[in-house]
Amino acid sequence: MNSSPGRFSRRGAPKKVIMKYALYLGCSIPIKYPGFEAATRLVCEKLEIELVDLSFSCCPPSTSMKQVHYGSWLALAARNLCVAEEAGLDLLTLCSGCVNTLKEANHILKENDSKRRRVNRVLKSVNHRFEGTIEVTHILDVLCQDSVQDKIKALKARDIPLRMGAHYGCHYFRPSAVMKPQVLDEDEYPLPMHMDELLSFIGAEPIQFGRKYLCCGMPLGANMDQDAGYALTREKLFHIRASNVQALSVVCPSCFEQFDMGQIILGRKYKEKDHIPTFYLTQLLGLYMGMSPTEVGMDVHRIKTRKLLKTIGIE
Amino acid sequence: MTDMVVRTGLSRKDIYECYQCARCTGSCPALEVRPDAYGPRETILRWLDQGRDKLTRDKHIWLCCTCNVCEERCPQMLPISDLLTDLRNLAARRGNIPDRLAAAIRLLAVTGRTMIVHQLDEMRAHHGLEPLPPAAAEEVRAILKETGLDEVIEF
Repeated sequence: MNSSPGRFSRRGAPKKVIMKYALYLGCSIPIKYPGFEAATRLVCEKLEIELVDLSFSCCPPSTSMKQVHYGSWLALAARNLCVAEEAGLDLLTLCSGCVNTLKEANHILKENDSKRRRVNRVLKSVNHRFEGTIEVTHILDVLCQDSVQDKIKALKARDIPLRMGAHYGCHYFRPSAVMKPQVLDEDEYPLPMHMDELLSFIGAEPIQFGRKYLCCGMPLGANMDQDAGYALTREKLFHIRASNVQALSVVCPSCFEQFDMGQIILGRKYKEKDHIPTFYLTQLLGLYMGMSPTEVGMDVHRIKTRKLLKTIGIE
Repeated sequence: MTDMVVRTGLSRKDIYECYQCARCTGSCPALEVRPDAYGPRETILRWLDQGRDKLTRDKHIWLCCTCNVCEERCPQMLPISDLLTDLRNLAARRGNIPDRLAAAIRLLAVTGRTMIVHQLDEMRAHHGLEPLPPAAAEEVRAILKETGLDEVIEF
């Protein structure tokens, strides 16, 4: 008998990590910015990250439903979590708002027995039950994993040598005790820097700017006062321009809308013509992997990207 | 579960832990662009001085970005965001809710999503995407009836 490993032995074979997520699109991305969805699907396909579409609803936002009716906020979020649990998949979000609601609700329902019991009583009528078996993540966190970065590097077609400002979106990292508990353990001030690192990884120069970690203006505009919301955006743009940022990278469709549509509206009002293009992160990854601007949906941005991309040889 | 709120578990005495340092308000983006907003410090002061009931009828409590900066920076570690969420939940129940926000919630309750656009299929096809399947609107509606949202906003 030969005791050495046979041809069917798995020893020595490279360990293949299969990444598979329930894709949580939310509302804004598939409806207002389907280009981001397209870019994300293309990039994930290249990275061999399998995305499964399930029957989700609105998250719902902590900026709106949570402020109006907490119980409804928690129960609807719980239903979305249940749908992913039933498929046995972790949930991948593409929006700073969605990740906030779903991560916080998951945290609350796992920790708080009485709230879980009450929510499950509600969900019973629609045949769901929250068990607490999955985790919620965001595309930015997935792209920053070491194994994924190795793959990104292997897929490089070109660098993106632009002076870029990373914009995370408040709800992506606050409240930090829920959104980034691991950062708190290290006794550091809980502000994220990993999109900045990812941007330098794809050949961009991450630029720091004033008001970087403050509100883009969207919730104030959406709930109460659109002019006040855009006034905040304008404050932010002032600092962004002062730092000579050439383009912004966002991971939230609401932040994108504030900067993209916002610059059109502010431009009309104040006759400001110095427009800074905004990109959704996976669009930039797509460009890095050799996709065309149109393939990743940049053709429909209100602030045009063509001129800027031409300066770095991308057409 | 109509009475389900955040329930910070804070008593009036706990809220007195706020010594009005205004670190929260110094960080408040809403206050920067709407000088008539209260900001967290003044909201807490009014809560203590005038009582919560009066505050729930005040439209200014909705001038908030929900960005949580106030809570992150509070040296007394008061759960300011939860306090304000509790306050606004109560206000909404008493009919004090901004029109834009009420309209968004109603749309969500009926369609399962917070937005709606024309020619969505064409837009998605332009990016090589399939039509978006409808959200699980019936389940959403059933859940929201069960949680008692219609006692706050009719849908």
